[in-house]
Amino acid sequence: MATLDKETLKQLTRLCRIECTEEEQEALLKDLKKILDYVEQLQEMDTENVPPCHQVLENRANVMREDVIGEVLDRESFLGNTPHIGGMIRIPPVIKHKGKYV
Amino acid sequence: MYNLSAIEIREQFLRGERSALSIARYYLERIARFEAQIGAFLEVHDKQLLSRAEQLDQKRHTHQPLGKLAAIPIAIKDNILVKGEITTCGSKCLAHYRAPYQSTVVNLLLAEDAMIIGKTNMDEFAMGSSTEHSAFQKTYNPWNLTCTPGGSSGGSAAAVAARFCPVALGSDTGGSVRLPGAFCGVVGFKPTYGRISRYGLVAYASSLDQIGPLATCTADAALLMEVIGRHCDKDSTSLPEEPEEYLNHFKHSIEGMKIGVPWQFLEGLADEPRQRFEEAIEKMKQQGADLLEVDLSVLKYAIAVYYILATAEASTNLARFDGIRYGHRSPRAKTLDEVYDFSKEEGFGPEVKRRIMLGTFVLSAGYQDAYYRKAQKVRTLILESYKQAFNQCDLIASPVSPFAAFEIGSIQDPVQMYLEDIYTVSVNLAGLPAISLPNCLTKEGKPLGLQLMGAQKQDRLVLNAAHVLEKIFPFHKAVPPLVDQEATL
Repeated sequence: MATLDKETLKQLTRLCRIECTEEEQEALLKDLKKILDYVEQLQEMDTENVPPCHQVLENRANVMREDVIGEVLDRESFLGNTPHIGGMIRIPPVIKHKGKYV
Repeated sequence: MYNLSAIEIREQFLRGERSALSIARYYLERIARFEAQIGAFLEVHDKQLLSRAEQLDQKRHTHQPLGKLAAIPIAIKDNILVKGEITTCGSKCLAHYRAPYQSTVVNLLLAEDAMIIGKTNMDEFAMGSSTEHSAFQKTYNPWNLTCTPGGSSGGSAAAVAARFCPVALGSDTGGSVRLPGAFCGVVGFKPTYGRISRYGLVAYASSLDQIGPLATCTADAALLMEVIGRHCDKDSTSLPEEPEEYLNHFKHSIEGMKIGVPWQFLEGLADEPRQRFEEAIEKMKQQGADLLEVDLSVLKYAIAVYYILATAEASTNLARFDGIRYGHRSPRAKTLDEVYDFSKEEGFGPEVKRRIMLGTFVLSAGYQDAYYRKAQKVRTLILESYKQAFNQCDLIASPVSPFAAFEIGSIQDPVQMYLEDIYTVSVNLAGLPAISLPNCLTKEGKPLGLQLMGAQKQDRLVLNAAHVLEKIFPFHKAVPPLVDQEATL
């Protein structure tokens, strides 16, 4: 049933934003096809009228809490894990002016 | 001393027979002596351990109350956050990530005066069954250095098996505590879903992930459960239950207990593991348990369901490692798009990429009904089958894996690797508690485990039955010959 070809794989890499070399794509395609062949067996199961499982624990619904500020991370230890400047996360420029990033 | 359980270590410390500092030094010495051959740790927190030990000694000298885990060294899988320490998840992506907050489990351990000894190796983002997918190093099975320790909590299991520490924490999404437990000959317990807080555990597949203890005996695993098996407001899937007491409520017999065996599901089992499993069943009968057959034929679909649901959840959970707020940021990236594309390409290993792609595929428009929805429906059928089975019996027994530890590098095919988890994944799909208990050694001298599963919230019953059986199984307290000696010899 699955039609996993090079084109679909390219689309997947765009969806999950992982760049892949040609070589990697070859290997991925081979492995993914194998895995999809294996999981194909689920189609034998009759699941007509079976509800999908959204929650494994019985009698558990959405758990709500008051919308109040709890513990928050301190800026310093948070920023320690990323390039930062002036107390803010630094990223490449995203605004273009006359075709150039500014 | 390496034969002491965590409970015995604590007692000796409380009685003043050993200082926390001498305990810490003893285990650091063992690590210095054997770790080069095993590779269990990604980082040993030696300085922190020694200063913690000094604090505990001080506490004892000044007669302050001491906790349930006083002076017990514990290793932590490297996907559980210890504030201020590096947490890599076995991934290049997080090679330099320093945890800015404390996981609930570590908070609970420290509140009871445990001593953290270090962070253990694992398959990248807990995706694997052999710890070979770690981006940093291989971990070798202390029973046989040519073999894997199992995975993904292979570092934690190997650390306990090598007696680098009496107890460790792992995490179990499809068998990742139980399989390495079985391969390394230690107890591995996967609690009911929601029993232990996942706050501060890096998410792989949130509807399946559960932290669990690894130990040399069931009593130590139970002790850890008493401490960490608590409701937590920071995890919305945490069970809203009072913490359970285990040790004081253990019965000394399994007489009259009904134990189900899904014989039909075990048909493909090879001769030696089958024979050893049957011997274990025979022992249960001798102890007065009633054995009966249960129908769990739907479990043949468990691996397929698991690899659709787990990868779908992983593709969502791992989207956060985009190189912006934390994790690897590609030095090649000149634009924001390139930060995303290149950082993930460079940060993730092949198995992680494989699973993210698969998860993205099964959730994508046009395929979601055929794969993701279908798998969710079969998950319902698996839950129902277990429910029916537990109407007939108290516990279900099976092997942990189709065979004992395999050689490093011997399984290259991803599907074949996935099938290692054939007996363990369904437990996660159904949110059940299950234990991997060392049963015996194979002719080649490798450990084989027995798995006992309980209905949801029957954690105590599972631990209790294992506690009775561990004393009569042939494996009882065996130590890998390589490390069955003092480090100072």
